[in-house]
Formats: sequence, structure tokens, C-alpha cells
Amino acid sequence: MAARLPARMLEVRGLAKRFGGLMVLEGVTFDVAPGEVLGLIGPNGAGKTTLLECLAGLLPLDAGEVLMDGRTLSPRSLRAALFYLPDGISPWAEHRASFVLDTMAELLGARDALPLVRRTLTLGDVLGGRVASLSKGQRKRLLLAIALLAPRPYLLLDEPFDGLDLSQTRTVTRVLRQHAKETGRALVVSIHQLVDASRVSDRLLLLSGGRVAGQGTLEALRERADLPGASLEEVFLALS
Amino acid sequence: MRFRDVRPLARLEVQELLACRASWLLLLLLGPLVGHAFLTAVSLYAEASGASGGPAALAQGLSPLDGIVVPTFGAYDLAVTLLFPFLPIRLVAAGKESGALRITQQLEAPLPLQLAVKGAVLVSGWLIAWIPGLLALFLWRSAGGHLHGPETATVLLGHLLRVGFAAGLGAACAAVAESASSAALMALSVTVGTWALDFVAAGRGGLLEALARMTPTAALRTFEHGTLKVSLVLVFLTLTFYGFALAWAALVPGLSLKARLLRHLAVSVAAFGLLLLASQATPSWDVTEDRRNSFPRADEAALRTIREPISVTVRLAPEDPRRLDLERSVLDKLRRIFPSLRVVYSASSRSGLFEPDHYGEIWYRVGTRSGMCRSTTEPIVLEHLYGLAGVPKPLDSNDPPYPGHPLTKQPRGATRLLFGLWPLATGLAWIASREPWE
Repeated sequence: MAARLPARMLEVRGLAKRFGGLMVLEGVTFDVAPGEVLGLIGPNGAGKTTLLECLAGLLPLDAGEVLMDGRTLSPRSLRAALFYLPDGISPWAEHRASFVLDTMAELLGARDALPLVRRTLTLGDVLGGRVASLSKGQRKRLLLAIALLAPRPYLLLDEPFDGLDLSQTRTVTRVLRQHAKETGRALVVSIHQLVDASRVSDRLLLLSGGRVAGQGTLEALRERADLPGASLEEVFLALS
Repeated sequence: MRFRDVRPLARLEVQELLACRASWLLLLLLGPLVGHAFLTAVSLYAEASGASGGPAALAQGLSPLDGIVVPTFGAYDLAVTLLFPFLPIRLVAAGKESGALRITQQLEAPLPLQLAVKGAVLVSGWLIAWIPGLLALFLWRSAGGHLHGPETATVLLGHLLRVGFAAGLGAACAAVAESASSAALMALSVTVGTWALDFVAAGRGGLLEALARMTPTAALRTFEHGTLKVSLVLVFLTLTFYGFALAWAALVPGLSLKARLLRHLAVSVAAFGLLLLASQATPSWDVTEDRRNSFPRADEAALRTIREPISVTVRLAPEDPRRLDLERSVLDKLRRIFPSLRVVYSASSRSGLFEPDHYGEIWYRVGTRSGMCRSTTEPIVLEHLYGLAGVPKPLDSNDPPYPGHPLTKQPRGATRLLFGLWPLATGLAWIASREPWE
């Protein structure tokens, strides 16, 4: 897998984003520690994808700042520090998957890490086909491989389990946790399925209506919702 | 700049181009298009050379530039104007629509480099499309036809610059528009706009006509007439750069609407400034073998001794054929010797049918002396100018007469090659480029 990256704390302070008259994110504040997997959960329209795109520097912020080791990051340095894997994309559909992966590895300067990523994500069945001919889950794994190759301290993954079957979901969960632990990278993972979120995440950030409705471990969220021993689903419903 | 990224980026773009069926279709169509243009040109040329037994045209009038090169490559102008813009649109718009752009925007390879590679791949790819045209010229040569290197190269340069412009236009439209179809409409609108400008400004003089001379169609015509103008080369390059710069301003991520508009404005202002500078460049060369765009050498030498400013006032309407005649046989040639030549058109109507009494007069001013001459014939105008400038008329020119290059023989195998083998080879190459499971 990619080499271990220097440990850096990412801080998001008062982030806000508006589309026309619609406030999509407001006062979003949280931290992510090196090697941590932060699960981003929330109902549809909570602003999860917008938050990730703002963090990746693909959308301009209306307010707030993102800091790394206490220094504010410009949009350009955001793109240098974070890599964002969007959901629902189907890039380079006409090309062979192995060509796409090889080319992206070269462009990301991560050719050395390629064999391990291929093995870890069991891409053997994927690489021989054209991207357009891959199933949703296979395509997801291919794109996940590209993200894991990106040598950035922070990875932002939008719905990485969407389209994966149970076995693949478990494999990817294991790979992501192992990746964070071994490389010291932090992962911010937007997840729709709460079961998957609780499995993969060290901590959770619950977004609701563009605001942070709660953050911390499941235990901390239970306390905040005043529901001791409740499931994540119950906590989610209570807080959102 | 990360030049090590150029190779993988180029590989990606080449694959995108190969995966695009439109590019194969375009390649396939070019064989018959060029073939038809070439065979028609060759047949007309042979007729004019007396192939069918009738009297041959004057040999001096038979130039392969006009007779073969320009019509054969005319097929490319059609393809570049109407079909080629879809390729850059496909390359840029597909990235936007499939989400590939979301990933490439995050690469360390800067966006300008990515766009430059796109442009380079498109233009290089187009060189492959030139194969039918070059084959046609090869067949012409092998049949004993004549080609003058500089004039042929100038026509090719004009076409290459035209492709660069079309690539920039397509990239800009695809970057700005929401979808590929909107981008295609935008590109077509720009093309039709330049045609309209060409039409409206024809013979009007002033800024409008100066602008119309810079439209791709008009500029290409200048190259086809065998004039290599630095100003036109620079204008084409600036417009190409402008197209890709607009695409960059539209695709760079993380900008607010205001910041994006400011970038577009800055790019446009810079391009406008560069265009103004480029259009002022005066060097130009007549690269034709028959020196059709130049006065005889002795006259050029005599004219160059005139140090005073020259201005011309033309009282001829835009649609008057004498005005076109004057432009071609006198004013264009004078401009090459006197870049600061001032020409004023003072006719008030388009046709000249109901103009006042002084209609048809052409006034020349050299320094403080002025005189009128109605002729549009080169020797008469030159004599008039010498008189005004007090410069002795040179002795007869020693320029060797242009011999002309009549050819009655028709190249063999052109039909088989361009209508049969080329489409077949293109089809086979397309099949070979596909993967076996498809």
C-alpha cells in the first residue's frame, strides 16, 4: 500500500456553503486525526457530498476554513492534501480497467503501490474488462483503488460501499481500516448504510440540515442523544 | 509543470480519441471527400491542359496551387469547419459528464498542461487525417504533376492553424456549456458568426473589413493565395490559445462565480491585446512560384525608394468588380511594400449604381502630391505612382516568365486508393483498436 504519510491533524472550522438562496452547510466544525476513519452520516440532503467537495477544494467555501497543523489551506493546497472520490461517476468507460488503473497510478506517482492495491482489493476479475462492462461493485472497487493510490494524507470517499455486495463490503471495510492504520492516512467516509458506518468508522460525524448534529464515537453519540445502549439507527433518528 | 505527466496524459487522450467513433467516421469519410475533390480537380486541370483534344489554356495560367492543392485540401476545410469541433467537444464534455474531470482536476498535473496535451493530441491526430490528402498529392507528383514546395507548405500551414483554432473553439465551448450538445451548438454558432462577418464586411473597408480578414475562412484563403502573413499566423495561434485559456478558466475547480467570471474577463482582455499586437505584425511573403502577389522585382525596388507616406482614396462601391480587381492587382501588393499604406473607401452605396459624378475615381497621395487615376491595371497605376513620387520608371523587369505546368495525364489508382483502400484500412484499424470481447 502507499507509503506512510506524515501525521497531520485536519481541522474544519465554521464551514458554510450556500447554493443561491439555499444554505447547504452552516457552521460545520470538526477535526480528523491521522490514521482515523471518520464516518460521515446523515439523511439525504444533509450536505454530506457538498461537505466533501468543499473539503477537496472542488467547490468554493462561503465561510469557514480548513486547517492542517494549524495552518489554513487554500483551495489549491486543499487539492494537494486531500483526494476525493466522488460517488456515481463512470469515468473512462470505453477503456480497459487495467489501462485506467495503470495510467492513474502513473499520474498519481504511485506505480510502486499498484501491485499491492490490486491484490488487496482483489481486482483480478476487474482489470481485464472495459470499464463500461464492469458491474457497479467492480467499478466501485476500481475507483477505490485509484483513491488508495493517491499519495495524499487525507482521503475523502463518497459512499464507497454503494453497489458492493455483502462480501465485498466486508473486504472493503477491512481494507479501509487497515489502510488507515498502516499508512497513517485519515479517511473521511460518507456512508448511507448505518451498519457499514459503525463497522468502518472510528468516530462518526452526523450531519443534519447542513449542520453538525453530533460527532464522536457511538458511545458519545448515545450519551448526546440520551439513549444509553441504543443502536446507531436509534441514535441517528434521535439526533437528526 | 510536471513534464513526466505528459506521456500518461497523452496516452489517456489518444485512447479517448480512439474510443470515439466520430473520429473513426471522420477519418473514413475523408478518403472519399478528398478523393472526390482531387479527382474533380485533376480532371478539370487535364481539360484545361488540352486533354480532350480542344485548345489548351495558356500554360502560364495553369498553376497546380490553384488547380490541385487548394481544391484537394478544400475537403479538409469542410471537415474541420463542420465535423472536427465535435472531437474536442467529445474529449472535454465526456470528462465532465462521466465524472473523469472530477478526478483529473485533483491530479498534480496542472489543468493547463492537461488541456495543452488534449490540444496537441487533437492536432497530431489530425495529421493522420491528412494522409488521404498527402497521398493525393503524391499521386499527382507520380503522374508527372508539379508542386512548388513553399506554396504547398503554406497551404498546409494554413490548414494546420485552422485545425488548432477549431480545437480551441471546441474545447472552450465544451468547457463552458452544460452538455456536449449545447457545446456543439455554440461551436456551430461561432462558425456561422464568422461566415456572417465575412459576408457583411466584404468590401466595406474600415475595422469591420479588417476583422473579417482575420476570420478562419478568410485567413485560410490568404494562405491558399500563396501569401504567408506573420500577422495571420499569430492571430490563429492567439485564437487557439484563447480557446484553451477559456476552457481552463471554466474548468479550474473551487472558484466562486465572481472569480470565474473575472478569470474569463482577464483571459479575454489578454487575448484581445495579443490579437491587436498580432494583427500589427507586418512581415509577409509571397511564396507562389508565379509571384502573383508581388509586383515585378524591378518595380518593387523602385517603389522601395519612395520614402514619403502613400494614401489611396477609392471611390468604388463594394460590389463593383473594379474594386476587387484593384485590391488584388494593386493594393494587396502595395501593402506588402508599404505596410503603413492608408486606404480609404469613400463610395456611399454597395452597388455604385447611383453614386455622384466622381464615382470611379481613385486618388493617390504621395507625401503632399496627389493625383487621380481611374485604372485598376497594375502597370498604369504604377506609372501614375512613379509620376507622383518623382521616381523614374524602372526598365523592363528581368523576372523569368512563369512557365505554367499543364498536365494532361491523370494519376492512376486514385479512385481505388481513396474510395476503396482508405475506407477499408480505416475500418480495419477501427476493428483492431477494439478489444476482442466487444
